[in-house]
Amino acid sequence: MTENQKSKSRKEFLVEMDDILGLSAGTLRGDENLEELENWDSTALISLIVLAETSNNVHISPEQVVGCSTVADLLRLAQVDGSST
Amino acid sequence: MTQTDALSALRFPTQPEDILRRRRSLRKELLGQPNLVTTRIAILGGSTTTELKSILELFLLLNGLQPTFYESGYNRYAEDVLFENPDLWSFKPDVVFIHTTWHNVSQFPDLMEAEKDVELRVAKEMARFESLWTKIHETFGALIIQNNFDLPNLRPLGNLEAFEASGRVSFLLRLNSQFAAYARTHSRFLINDILYLSAKVGLDEWHSQTYWYSFHMAVSPIGTVALAQNVAGIVKAAYGKSKKCLVLDLDNTLWGGVVGDDGVENLILGRDHPVGEAFADFQRYVKNLQRRGVILAVCSKNDIENAREGFSHPDSVLKLEDFSAFKANWNPKPENIREIATQLNIGLDSIVFLDDNPAERSLVADQLPEVAVPAVGSDVSRFAEALEYERYFEVGKIVQDDLNRSAYYSSNTQRSTHQASFRDYNEFLNSLEMTAEIAPFSGLYLERITQLINKTNQFNLTTKRYTSAEVESIAGDSGALTLYGRLSDRFGDNGLVSVLIGRVRNETVELDLWLMSCRVLGREMELAMFDVLIEQCQARRINMIVGVYIPSKKNSMVAGHYAGLGFTRSSESNTVQEKWQFNVPQRYSTRTRHIRVTGKLIPTVSNA
Repeated sequence: MTENQKSKSRKEFLVEMDDILGLSAGTLRGDENLEELENWDSTALISLIVLAETSNNVHISPEQVVGCSTVADLLRLAQVDGSST
Repeated sequence: MTQTDALSALRFPTQPEDILRRRRSLRKELLGQPNLVTTRIAILGGSTTTELKSILELFLLLNGLQPTFYESGYNRYAEDVLFENPDLWSFKPDVVFIHTTWHNVSQFPDLMEAEKDVELRVAKEMARFESLWTKIHETFGALIIQNNFDLPNLRPLGNLEAFEASGRVSFLLRLNSQFAAYARTHSRFLINDILYLSAKVGLDEWHSQTYWYSFHMAVSPIGTVALAQNVAGIVKAAYGKSKKCLVLDLDNTLWGGVVGDDGVENLILGRDHPVGEAFADFQRYVKNLQRRGVILAVCSKNDIENAREGFSHPDSVLKLEDFSAFKANWNPKPENIREIATQLNIGLDSIVFLDDNPAERSLVADQLPEVAVPAVGSDVSRFAEALEYERYFEVGKIVQDDLNRSAYYSSNTQRSTHQASFRDYNEFLNSLEMTAEIAPFSGLYLERITQLINKTNQFNLTTKRYTSAEVESIAGDSGALTLYGRLSDRFGDNGLVSVLIGRVRNETVELDLWLMSCRVLGREMELAMFDVLIEQCQARRINMIVGVYIPSKKNSMVAGHYAGLGFTRSSESNTVQEKWQFNVPQRYSTRTRHIRVTGKLIPTVSNA
């Protein structure tokens, strides 16, 4: 990511996660448990890591992702703006 | 295929991360396409292949192929074959893709190992892979797609890696050379060139330690997108789904400037100008496509004289004679492209249209959804990249007919001029002095036969598709009756243009496939094929021919084929397929009056 590129907002990141999970845009709110999401699997996990790298320039490891239990945890890991509040 | 906004994610220029993110919705949309052709692909992986399978499926679907996959366990690519994994054996793949990388070299040379020992090691590694390939071919007859080797991203020996016999880079390049030599001498074996792909993606992007150590993915997700697209290109070509013809605009596409306004002398073309050099290089790229069998056509809004004159520019690499169709006028481009397709006897789905003008591209894409219209932008230095990216003209092997294709279309123009000088069509046909070689399938032509089977849609009675393995198997099957037909005339060789496959049961042959290239429509080639079919039936004591016609969207031209030959409609006909019967007479007068059949000696094969 270049310096001029802006990190994705929480809303934008959630919409991209909707894409990854095959959900309609606007479905995820952030408080969902990962284990309740039907399409949360290894390919979704890899897509999420790529998304964090390319969108937010944040490198996260699969082990860190596996340690998450909610969508909000993932947002914090990917350092999405406003996710730590 | 209609390109929706969603599918444009898979078209040039792409962002691999978009494809990874949207794969589920893309898959869903692609699965909704009509007329998908099924294929069975075994992925034998030297590393984890889940990602690869998921992305490969998207690119295959984009090309009209619906795959079913077999996936070996992690790094079980050799064991699954050598120890005959029953799941793989019952899967019976059409295509086997062996996804190995440098990680799968069993042993690299020791430091400072002697040259002859390194040679021995190369031979040993090669023998290991050859044993797999031989077993796959003997067991399944499947098309094998084998990765060559990428290079490691770390170099313990530094630059010595490249030239010391024991260097890993040097060793991998030797192996690649051996793999390539094998591919040149074996049919149904193709190389997936990951040495090139990894360089194009960039080794740091291609290899990722995170994905290797966490998932044992030898290629990163971003690299996997490039890899999957390349493999899909190879499979698409094997199924005859590559394009045949490149239709080009002229002004600001093949040269800079507007020839009608600026004049030939002021066109930007050639080494005197940086952009002119880019146009000349693009023309050189197009010329290379033409040399290996891609048909070229012009579709330009120009006066014809101005358009033709543009090619007299001293730095124009392309010459007028390189084009098989030339439309320069003020009519809408979709109309001209339709006429080009008719003139060349090819389907609109065989055409790629390249134009710098987004409005023209949009019009053609909208009105002719079958035509591929890459979003090339207006920068000439990226035109070739767009064509390459989409793998439009990928071929498995270049066969002689590909090299002759341009000569054929040029001689066809001569034929048309010649025809215009005759009032009587029979007189014209006689004057062509046609000779046909019609004989059972022969090893020499199997590649071309497969190519023709998989791309002929119009004069095709059943539109059944066969893989090269199936064609080879049928060629050696005594229960099959096969014929190929080549046609030449006073203007040149039309190449292998007709194929017929029948299944013999007792004293009946049922025709599974009968097709002919539209290049030779109206030349009585179908009658010549029928004459030899009758001759074969008589020699093999077959007394009944059953013709099958399966109507499709594209083959209505042959709806009356069997009736025209004197077949009677059988009561076994239904809404999906028609069956027609013909009693083989003991005495038969050949029907073609204009073709001399010189066929090779046709062996008499017993039905027993």
